[in-house]
Amino acid sequence: MDQIGVVETQYLQFDGLRLESGGYLGPLTVAYETYGKFNDKRDNAVLVLHALSGDAHAAGLDENGRTGWWDGMIGPGKGIDTNKYFVICSNCLGGCKGTTGPTSINPDTGGAYGRSFPLITIGDMVNVQAMLVEKLGISKLHTVIGGSMGGMQALDWACRYGDRLKSAVVIAATARLSPQGIAFNWVGRNAIRSDPVIPLNQSDSTSSDRKSGRGLAVARMIGHITYLSEETMQAKFGRKRTLRDMDGTTYSLGENEGFGGEFEIESYLQHKGSSFMERFDEDSYIIITKAIDYFDLVRQCGDMVTAVENITAKMFIISFTSDWLYPTSMSMAIVRALQAAKKHVSFVEVDLPYGHDSFLVPQGMPTLTRIVRGFLKGV
Amino acid sequence: MSEQVLEIRTPFHEFEVGFNVIIDLITPGTRVLDLGCGSGTLLARLRDEKDVEGCGVELDQEKVIRCTERGIRVMTLDLDHGLEGFPDLSYEYVVLSRTLQQIINPERLVREMLRVGSKSIIAFPNFANWKIALRYLLTGRTPIVKTFPHPWFNSPDIHRVTISDFRHFIDDIGGKIEKEIFITKDTPGTNIFWPNGRAEWGCFQISAQ
Repeated sequence: MDQIGVVETQYLQFDGLRLESGGYLGPLTVAYETYGKFNDKRDNAVLVLHALSGDAHAAGLDENGRTGWWDGMIGPGKGIDTNKYFVICSNCLGGCKGTTGPTSINPDTGGAYGRSFPLITIGDMVNVQAMLVEKLGISKLHTVIGGSMGGMQALDWACRYGDRLKSAVVIAATARLSPQGIAFNWVGRNAIRSDPVIPLNQSDSTSSDRKSGRGLAVARMIGHITYLSEETMQAKFGRKRTLRDMDGTTYSLGENEGFGGEFEIESYLQHKGSSFMERFDEDSYIIITKAIDYFDLVRQCGDMVTAVENITAKMFIISFTSDWLYPTSMSMAIVRALQAAKKHVSFVEVDLPYGHDSFLVPQGMPTLTRIVRGFLKGV
Repeated sequence: MSEQVLEIRTPFHEFEVGFNVIIDLITPGTRVLDLGCGSGTLLARLRDEKDVEGCGVELDQEKVIRCTERGIRVMTLDLDHGLEGFPDLSYEYVVLSRTLQQIINPERLVREMLRVGSKSIIAFPNFANWKIALRYLLTGRTPIVKTFPHPWFNSPDIHRVTISDFRHFIDDIGGKIEKEIFITKDTPGTNIFWPNGRAEWGCFQISAQ
């Protein structure tokens, strides 16, 4: 078999979860997919963790023929080789792709949680993943791997469940988001909040017409700017104009959605925003970006060295030269703490021009594949 | 005119004797930090032959990836930024082979090596070798030789260091030279006549006093 083929998302039910905030959330559904097979010892499991807008569908095709978000990395003979590893990817807590989140039904009200969904943390997401892993009968994961928010989770996994993983790969992540990152997330949430189409009171927040709001699209556009680098934008779009050029006297403010922007970069963002609006839930966006903003191992543990004290896994930290949202200095802070705590740490700064998205774009895959494959083999 | 791409360090196969010398110095089962580890050839040999727990530092991406593919632990770091982050005495040996002459501030790096490792091993080409010195004297021009293979105007070898220089330098920074091995015509020797004039390479094991 040289392709994964069509994969079906599976679901597991749990009673519930005690949140880090103290509250209780239940019942709980977790959506997940698996690729590859267990070996006899069941010690070949790799847990893949998605970023902000990802889902459980990491590889292969879904029933609509849509390719998984990390299909370039996961599959037979690929970086995470499904001939060798049993790969698991689940939708994170608070998401909108099958795992319990704001679009799920609140048993107390019979309606969707909407904006009443409780505040959750990266740690809560990790605890839910740990419940899934346990239910699948895995006592020790071979590797936990993720980029961006997934990288935060991988780091949190290693700190939290020291004895339940052999290694962790933390890609383009940080132990605490920069004020710059928080700022962009704040603007994104503001765009959602300011959208006049959205009813702001909770009881109405699940009505179907709110989906016409473009606040979420704007939030996504801002996000996309931060995921790219100046260099990629220049190379990919430059100052090129779309065929629907303006006549020099009129201009678009983006009000005509079908029309798109004047410059290609505008049309690109327009397209990204619109398609995101179709596939994502704004309350999920709010709750997940809040979890990202709050993630702070330093504050949680006093200092970074204490935070990584319980790690026994082999740690592999990867950053990208062109990533200005989660820059190398942030990965270095993790590396320094691991060094100071005398942990097994490798660190690679990968020279790729595609910004924060370098771990997702196909052009970066050949380089990243070699690195990840090499590390997994050496665990 | 396109700029010539430089082979930064003496290729491994041309320095095999040097690597054998370094490997002989290292006690089995220890932790070794190899600065400028290239593709991890030395660390792979140390792992296989001496059961060493190694870590490499390298800046060149292709070489870093090669290390990872060989299962060698590696870090992408610039040696010119020192060894900040490595705890005191966290390695039994810190190795710097074929690289000393290319470091912007060797004093800072060597002091850092003495801090991080119980022992440091440094191998470098000797610019006082009589053939080089004679050519320097007779032609009046910076010689291009096997150990310093690039013209002065486009060379990673920014220091033309000698055995004598190195001994004084270690003395100046308060280090202790524990072992000296000199390589001439691919033959290592510990007690050779006139090492500063005859050695092509010097390999020193040093420690903090």
